[in-house]
Amino acid sequence: MTAAEPAVSAPTISYARAINQALAEEMRRDERVWMMGQDIARMGGVFGVTRGLLDEFGPDRVRDTTINETFIVGGAAGAAMTGTIPVVELQFADFLLTAGDEVFHKMAKWRYVHGGRLEVPMVLRLPTGVVGGAGAEHSQSLEAMAMHVPGLKVVLPATPADAKGLLKTAIRDRNPVLYFEHKSLYRQKGPVPEDDEFLVEFGRAAIRRPGRDVTVVATGLMVGRALEAAERLAAEGIEIEVIDPRTLVPLDMDTILESVERTSRALVVHEAVRTAGAGAEIAARIQERAFFSLDAPVWRLGAIDAPIPQDPELEQLCIPSVDGIAGAVRELRAL
Amino acid sequence: MSSATASDSAGAPAADLATRLYRDMTRIRTVELRMRRFIDEHGFGGFWHPGIGQEGVQAGAVSVLRREDPLFYAHRGLGYALVKGMSLDELLGDLLGRVTGSTGGKGGGTVHFVDPDVGVLGQGGTLGSSFPLGAGAAISARLLGEDKVVAIFFGDGAAARGTFHEAALQASVWKLPLVWICENNGWAISAPITEHSPTEDIADRAVAYGVPGVVVDGQDALAVHEAMAEAVDRARGGGGPTLIEAKTERVRGHYEGDNQPYRDDLEGVGTPGRDPVALLRSRLPEAVSEELDEAARVEVEAAFERTLAAARPDPSIVLKDVWA
Repeated sequence: MTAAEPAVSAPTISYARAINQALAEEMRRDERVWMMGQDIARMGGVFGVTRGLLDEFGPDRVRDTTINETFIVGGAAGAAMTGTIPVVELQFADFLLTAGDEVFHKMAKWRYVHGGRLEVPMVLRLPTGVVGGAGAEHSQSLEAMAMHVPGLKVVLPATPADAKGLLKTAIRDRNPVLYFEHKSLYRQKGPVPEDDEFLVEFGRAAIRRPGRDVTVVATGLMVGRALEAAERLAAEGIEIEVIDPRTLVPLDMDTILESVERTSRALVVHEAVRTAGAGAEIAARIQERAFFSLDAPVWRLGAIDAPIPQDPELEQLCIPSVDGIAGAVRELRAL
Repeated sequence: MSSATASDSAGAPAADLATRLYRDMTRIRTVELRMRRFIDEHGFGGFWHPGIGQEGVQAGAVSVLRREDPLFYAHRGLGYALVKGMSLDELLGDLLGRVTGSTGGKGGGTVHFVDPDVGVLGQGGTLGSSFPLGAGAAISARLLGEDKVVAIFFGDGAAARGTFHEAALQASVWKLPLVWICENNGWAISAPITEHSPTEDIADRAVAYGVPGVVVDGQDALAVHEAMAEAVDRARGGGGPTLIEAKTERVRGHYEGDNQPYRDDLEGVGTPGRDPVALLRSRLPEAVSEELDEAARVEVEAAFERTLAAARPDPSIVLKDVWA
C-alpha cells in the first residue's frame, strides 16, 4: 500500500508544526478535545510543539501540570471515560515508566475489564528517541513495550504529513493511542495538507521507495536513514524497497509480506534496542507467513544492548546508521 | 440536610434518612452474609474481600451522591455500588461470573462492577489508581459544564500510594469537585496502621493540600452522611476537594478465607456496640427494621437464585471488548 501523496499545493512545514496544526484543527472541530502536560501551555512545550494553543483555546483546555505523570495519564484516562477526549503529553516517552500503571493498565485494559461499558478515547503524546545528549532516561524508544500489552494502539510518524494525519486519526479513534513523535524529526520539513479532513488511516504501511532486491522495514527516524542508504545502494545497482509501517498496532503485515514475496529478502530496522524490539515481532511474522518466499534469513538492526550514553557522539554509535543499514543490505543480498 | 443530598432524601427528616440508610445497610449486610455462606458451601474461584462492618461508611457516604455523580469504589464488598443504584443481579452476576453481570461475565469476585448510567465507574485493581482517574472525571465534568461531584473510596493501605499525592496536589490547585473517602479499618492486609502511618489520623494529610481533612466515626452512618453532605456541597459549589477519614473496623480477613493469624486486636471487633448495622437498628422502631431486614432477605435470596441459574459466559468472551 502506498501512502496517499499530499496534494501538490500542501505547504511545506515542519513535523513539529504539523503536530501543532493537527492539535489545533481537532480542538476547533470538537470541543471535547483538550490537553494537559508539563510546560505545554504557557511555554508551549519544551520542544515548542504546543506553542500558541493556550492563547487560542484558553487554560481550561490547555493545562499545565506539575511533575505528576501518574496524574497526567491517569487523569486523562478518567476524563476519557467520562465524556471528553484528552490529548496529553509526557515530556519524554521514557516517562511511560513513571506512569506505567496508568498507561498499561488503565488506558489499555479498562474498556476490556468492564465488558465494553467504558471507553478510553485518548491520545498520549510521547516525544521519543535520541535528540543529541538527552541521556539514558530521556532517549529511549519503548514502543515494543506498548505492543506487548493488548489494548493500546501504537503510532510512529516518520514524516510531517504523517505526523499530522496520524495524530488527527488518533484523536478521532475511540481507543487509547500511544503517539510516539520523534524528537530528532521535529525540525524536518515536508508538504502537509491544510485540509481539516486530512487523515492517515491506521494499519496501512507506506512504501516510501519501491525496489526489487531487499525489503527494508523501517520505523520513525530510521525511515529517513533507510532512504538515504537506498540512494547509496542504488548507485551500486541494489534497489531496496523501504516500507514504513506507520502504526505498529495495528500492523499492516500484508504490505510487508507482499513486498517480501517479490524481493525474497527482508531487513527490519529500528532505533529501539534490537533485543525483543518490534523488529523481532515483524521478523517472526515474516518467517511464519512467507518462509518459502525467503532466500535468506530475516535480519534485524536496532540499538545495541546498552543504555543510551549522555554524550551525543557516543549516542549515535548505539543506534543504526545509514552506513550500518547499507552494509547490512549488502551482506544480506550476498547470502 | 444539605441541598446536595440524593434526590429521594433531599430535605427529608432525620428519621426518614435513618430508615433509608438502614434499608441500604441491611441489604449490604444480607449480601455479605449470603456471600459468605455461598463461599462456605461451594468455595470460590475469585477473590471476595468482605466489607462487613464497613457498611456505615459505604451507605452513609454514597447515599449523599446524586445518581449521575461518578463513583470510584474500593474493594471491600459491593455496598458502594448497591447504594449508588446498581442492580443487585448485575452485581451478583459479576461476583459469580455469570453473563448477567454488568461486565457480561468477565467478573469473578469483587473486581470490576460498572454502570455508567448510575455513575459507577470502577475500582483500581492496582490500589490507589483511582485517585488520578477520579480527578480526570472531575475535569471532564468541569469541561462539559456539569455540576457533578466525584467520590473516590480507598483504604488506609491505599492512602500510602504516591498517586494520591500527585492527584491531590493538582486537584486541590484546580479546585476539582472531589471527595476522597478513606475507610480506615486499621489494617492494610497484614500491616497495622501504626506501622505505616506516622500520624494517628490520615485526615491530617489534607493540610498539605490546603483542603479540609475530616475524621468521622465510620460505624455511625448518620455521622458519615453528614460529613459527606458537607464535603459534597463544598465540592459542588466550587470549593474543591475534601478528605474524609472514616474510622471503621475490618471484621473479617483481607479476603474470605484469610484467618488473620497476624491480628491481635480481634477482641471486640464486630460486636454490637461497634456494628454499624446494629447501631443504626437501635435508633429505629423494631417493626421498621424487621420489615426492612425481611425485605432484604427476600430480595437477596431471589437475586442469588436467579444468578446461580444464569449462564456462564461463552469462551469467546475472552476476545471481546479489547477494541472499540
